[in-house]
Amino acid sequence: MVDLNATLIAQIINFLILVVILTWVGYKPLMKALADRQAHIAESLETAEREKVVAEELKLEYQQQLAQARSQAQAIVEKATKLAEQTKDEILQEARAEHARLLKVAADEISRERERALAQMRSEVVSLSIAAAGKVIGNNLDAAANAGLVTDFINRLDDQKLGDLKC
Amino acid sequence: MGGAHEIGAHKLAHWAGLTFNIDTLYMTWISMAIVIVFVFVATRGLKMVPGKWQNFMELVVSYLLDQIDSNMGSKGRKMAPLLISLFLFLLVANWLGLIPGFSSPTSDLNTTLGLALLVIALVHVLSIVNKGPVAYIKHYFQPYFPFVVINLIEEIAKPVTLSFRLMGNIFAGEVLIIILGILVPMWIPIPNVIWLAFSVFVGVVQAFIFTMLSMSYLSNSMNDSH
Repeated sequence: MVDLNATLIAQIINFLILVVILTWVGYKPLMKALADRQAHIAESLETAEREKVVAEELKLEYQQQLAQARSQAQAIVEKATKLAEQTKDEILQEARAEHARLLKVAADEISRERERALAQMRSEVVSLSIAAAGKVIGNNLDAAANAGLVTDFINRLDDQKLGDLKC
Repeated sequence: MGGAHEIGAHKLAHWAGLTFNIDTLYMTWISMAIVIVFVFVATRGLKMVPGKWQNFMELVVSYLLDQIDSNMGSKGRKMAPLLISLFLFLLVANWLGLIPGFSSPTSDLNTTLGLALLVIALVHVLSIVNKGPVAYIKHYFQPYFPFVVINLIEEIAKPVTLSFRLMGNIFAGEVLIIILGILVPMWIPIPNVIWLAFSVFVGVVQAFIFTMLSMSYLSNSMNDSH
């Protein structure tokens, strides 16, 4: 049962062979894998940290750009509003000027027409009056005397004002 | 297995004038083959995200490495392959005897004493290398000269306890498996099952104890402060 023999030596040799084989087959690759994984994890963490910083910077940059874009848009709107205001004023002014000009033209036309009508009427009245007076009196004075008479008459009418018309 | 089975008897083989327990050697080679195949399978195609075999292997190795680091310090890593191999071999060897028709190589004192002597020889060699021959000899006479007797007994007791503890546990387990097989009829398998389950546990514990004690002996020889 506890008989020792050469098996003891054989077992020591067996075990040493086993140690060599296991070291070669298992231990070294496993240690390498563990070290690799540790390195990989460390690297991943580092990369993540780096990318986080980059992302933070990008975010800041985007925010700045956004703010800039917003203020630019604001400026554009303001400028457009101002321009529109200005244009409106210009158009109004122009319209007002045109209106005034047209009014003046119309008034001139009217006064000119009235002037002409009055003159025409006056000459007609003179000749009519002369004709009528000739018929009434029956004899004709000389033409110059007639005209003088009538013109005098009409001029005196002016003083009493005939309607709105100013002669 | 009958009553005629002589427990603990070995088939002998003679070669070059030496006597070998050939059945123990066969079982040792089977255990070695199982360990090598297992380690080979577990460490092929090692990946960043381990599969279940690799995971189990890493679990065992990491645990033992933690123990080695905490017990032996930075120098202990050099001994790590030896201690991990020792644990895996003893584990498989202890469990091998639980399979009917097989016996544990560790139930033969030749195996356990061989391993224990290997460890103790390593301890003494490392002591001399690390502490120097003078300090090594001097440490037998600490703290006073007469203590040399106690120190010598202690050094001799180390391999003896190491080997007999393991052999005794595993041998007793196998003996009881045989005896239970004889005493209890096969149609009442409960005692057998309970004892087999306990033997599985004992196999782990004894492999672990042998490894841990080897570790602590080795760490004593590696550390300068005693």
